[in-house]
Amino acid sequence: MDKPAVTLQLINLKKKIGNKEIIKGLDFEIHSGEVFGFLGPNGAGKTTTIRMMVGLIDITEGDVLIEGKSIKTDFNNAIQHVGAIVENPEMYPFLSGWKNLKQYARMVPGITDHRIHEIISLVGLEKAIHEKAGRYSLGMRQRLGIAQALLHKPSILILDEPTNGLDPSGIREIRKYIRALAEQENVSVIVSSHLLSEMELLCDRIGVIKNGQLVALEEVKTTENSTALQDVFIEAEPLAQAKEYLEMQLSTGIRLKGKELILSLQKEEIPSILKKMIGQGFDVYGVNVLQSTLEDKFFNLIGENSID
Amino acid sequence: MTNLIHLIWNEQIKLYARKSTWVMFFALAILVLASGIISRLWDSEFQTTEYGTNWQVELQEENIRLTSEMDNDELSKLSNPFQLEKNMYHIENEIKPLPYDGWQFLYDNSFFTTLISLFTIIIAAGIVSNEFKWGTIKLLLIRPISRSKILLSKYLTVLLFAFTLIFFLIAISLLTGALFFGLNNPTQTVVLEHGMGYAHGSLLNVILKDYGLSLVTLLMMASFAFMISTIFRSSSMAIGLAVTLMLAGNSIVLFASHYSWAKYILFTNTNLGQYFNGAEPMMEGMSLSFSVTILCIYLALFLMASWVAFTKRDIAGH
Ligand SMILES: Nc1ncnc2c1ncn2[C@@H]1O[C@H](COP(=O)(O)OP(=O)(O)O)[C@@H](O)[C@H]1O
Ligand SMILES: [Mg+2]
Repeated sequence: MDKPAVTLQLINLKKKIGNKEIIKGLDFEIHSGEVFGFLGPNGAGKTTTIRMMVGLIDITEGDVLIEGKSIKTDFNNAIQHVGAIVENPEMYPFLSGWKNLKQYARMVPGITDHRIHEIISLVGLEKAIHEKAGRYSLGMRQRLGIAQALLHKPSILILDEPTNGLDPSGIREIRKYIRALAEQENVSVIVSSHLLSEMELLCDRIGVIKNGQLVALEEVKTTENSTALQDVFIEAEPLAQAKEYLEMQLSTGIRLKGKELILSLQKEEIPSILKKMIGQGFDVYGVNVLQSTLEDKFFNLIGENSID
Repeated sequence: MTNLIHLIWNEQIKLYARKSTWVMFFALAILVLASGIISRLWDSEFQTTEYGTNWQVELQEENIRLTSEMDNDELSKLSNPFQLEKNMYHIENEIKPLPYDGWQFLYDNSFFTTLISLFTIIIAAGIVSNEFKWGTIKLLLIRPISRSKILLSKYLTVLLFAFTLIFFLIAISLLTGALFFGLNNPTQTVVLEHGMGYAHGSLLNVILKDYGLSLVTLLMMASFAFMISTIFRSSSMAIGLAVTLMLAGNSIVLFASHYSWAKYILFTNTNLGQYFNGAEPMMEGMSLSFSVTILCIYLALFLMASWVAFTKRDIAGH
């Protein structure tokens, strides 16, 4: 299968402020229709990299190509393909959501009121759109920020920590738009975050940045792959008999850890094993499936799954 | 080009969506109205006198009365000589005094242009730095529009704002003036206070010249505030510096006046009126073209510095 087209390319990107090298040579590509997670602890250099991508700060060395156009030397032609929120979605507080969007609509030719309405309903802001943005909650401002970024149908959407300060339902909703944009509209989406748990569910690929360097670049495997073995933690009583029974049923080894048994199972095996155990009269108190191996992989790299 | 017009349109919306802008218009309107009421109530005696065909005789009679008043009344000793002198000027130059009217009221209100300069400085000081304060600069500068064009639209918005205020001042002054004093033909010759004495000319010309010359200080100080706000991204600093300089301008000139380089100081040159009042220019070697050149150099410096700061620097932090 052909790889989808490259939409954004970082070439040995460096940023020095004073004598301090903040970004130390980033090299990677993003493809159309891909959701790319830019993961790293606070202060790793995510925002600085994004600021260079959109031309807000100078590039010390290297380049960013957007649809093949250099952001350094061909700014207008490069940036027209980009929609972005850099850090917080800040709006004119004294203008309504609608008037805020009109501001940005006037800056690019060809954005009709019809398009603005379309975007407003996509992000679900119809009810509040004529209220002043200064009265919006953080979640509403985040939506308005996304609306602003999508007005001109960009092929690349860059969101810097879009889930910061949102509650779980807000996060789920943002995840829904982003997946839809990538899958249905073929937009490349770059999302930065310092939280691995969020990125795993959202992204196709994750790049890990630490101290201004890319330390890992991984595809996120979908766990739909049912033949893969997963670690299943089962808490049951009586423990010793349960272990004995399961050893008879399964060919694989069973480990004991605290009050839990750890089994390596395929996803589709899990219900039948549980039914059997219950049928045998065991009391099952809990079942945990370790979803991912990414966590282990990144944990050491990032140091922690940090929350500030 | 359509681009630039859209940008200016955006700036207008942001400007007039804020209450503080309307407060400026409101304040100006209140002050003009108040000055109209005060003129009407207190200065009515001289200003509303209608003179007949024998106006020379009437003026001479008035002067005799004024002189005799001065013998008896201490207060008149202070106020009457001005009116005496003015009446003499009318007689000598054969100009029939016109009753006070809306056009003369407009002329008297030209000192409000100082207030307009102050308001324009406030707008110029905020127009760039506020985008930084609000954080919206990050959304503004990631559009397919060059930074130069965005800066230009902001500068033009400042100028447009100043002109809007001046037109507003003129309109409200004429309206108030017409209501309280009526309107005569503005092209008639009038005698007006001019420096230490009196001068005459077509009222309309005098008004245009006066308002026109006041634009010089306005333009220079607004551009200065615009520069400071663009470089330091702080509106309070820009307002503080620009207003202080504007107020201290004359003192600076006075203080430095015995040095020959004083003629290159901005404030030595902002009063172009010095070339129209018949007196000697402020310093040796100065002429209208000299001052205009100096002003253009300062203006170019202010705008270049703003441009470099805005187009070359990183947009980082908040
Ligand atoms: N303008 C600046 N001057 C000096 N250091 C800066 C500046 N901006 C960012 N930094 C430093 O660069 C590093 C990366 O910051 P940032 O890109 O904001 O990280 P992240 O977005 O990943 O949290 C931090 O150590 C920060 O202190
Ligand atoms: Mg950041």
